[in-house]
Amino acid sequence: MDALKRLDSTGIPLLLARIVVGFVFLSYGIEKVSDPLAFLKSIKNYDLLPLEPTWFINSIAVILPFTEIVCGLALLSGIGLRAGGAITSLMLMAFTPAVYLLGSSLVGTTAEFDSLCNVVADCGCGSGAIPICNKLLENCGMLILSLWATFSMSGKFRGGLST
Amino acid sequence: MNAENHDGENASLANDGPSEGRSNSCCCRSVLKSGLVIVALSSFLALTTNALRSSGSIDLSRNYFRTLQAPVNPVQEQNSNGSNSEVNPAGNTGESISDQDTTSGQEEAQPDDGIQRLTFEDVHDHFMTAEEMVGMGESIVAFVDARVRDQYEEGHIPGALWLYHYESGDLIDALRPQLEMAFFIIVYCNGGDCEDSLYLAADLGSLYGLPPENIYVYEGGFNEWKEREMPVVTGSEAR
Repeated sequence: MDALKRLDSTGIPLLLARIVVGFVFLSYGIEKVSDPLAFLKSIKNYDLLPLEPTWFINSIAVILPFTEIVCGLALLSGIGLRAGGAITSLMLMAFTPAVYLLGSSLVGTTAEFDSLCNVVADCGCGSGAIPICNKLLENCGMLILSLWATFSMSGKFRGGLST
Repeated sequence: MNAENHDGENASLANDGPSEGRSNSCCCRSVLKSGLVIVALSSFLALTTNALRSSGSIDLSRNYFRTLQAPVNPVQEQNSNGSNSEVNPAGNTGESISDQDTTSGQEEAQPDDGIQRLTFEDVHDHFMTAEEMVGMGESIVAFVDARVRDQYEEGHIPGALWLYHYESGDLIDALRPQLEMAFFIIVYCNGGDCEDSLYLAADLGSLYGLPPENIYVYEGGFNEWKEREMPVVTGSEAR
């Protein structure tokens, strides 16, 4: 625990978390905003959200990409850092099991998809079609960084309007 | 938002002593408040952008994934009634697909969701009929491509009309005369796990008022069409 506190006090993990999670969420958000209908289809393909009332799933497809962009900007700028980190953490906590379920549902559907790590699919995250295992590892890493940005007590590299 | 001020509560989180609980609660409130601001700002930006988009916007009130409640499949009704051959999707042309084996095979494969599905053989026959009638200036068969514009331009079934499912509300009026004239409206997308043709077929019948008994889905879709080495047209024109 002390080692973690010492590491945190250097501010390096916080800086890394801000840059990595900030850029990833910003770029994925922009990708989704460019084609909201494709994102709507991706959300529907998960079969996790109710289709009625219709405004519910449609609103998520409209608002979620912008939330990713604003959170990405919050992390990069340091303005609303903890809140941005908390929201990205919540999103990753929701998305990661969903990606796992999507990958699991595709196992055995083709000869190539004989195991979870051989499944290649577009999760609708904005990264295109990639191996599901890689996506899950990426999400877990991002979740750790997001939580770090949320709970870090380091005063260094926090960004914000003035430092 | 000064970093020192903003994180004042955060620094105090590390302190031991009686003030820790109060600081924690204060920090949580601050994060919650900032979180609400982020969500409100995102929602405002998202809804404004969506409203101002010239194309590709999402109609919040529209059900893009409509399914039919009551079966309208005349083949199934016909089999259960034991009569009424004129509404058979294959038999209507008087050509070869009206044999019982094909029909019963089709029936077995079709889910009972009210959507009439066609096999490649059915679609092939309708296509040949449509091609023969092009020269006569008549069109009783209309192919409808439910895919995105880029995919349509990369290649589509000759004569197919472009009606992207997610923007069909803007496109339907221009195509309505041709669709109303057709006895066979055959909707397709890429096939496989592409479901847009099913949703568009449901919308054509229930939302846009076209006769449901005239609407069919080619489930194999454009991928199967290409695999069977059937003719393909590229570009934005139907032919």
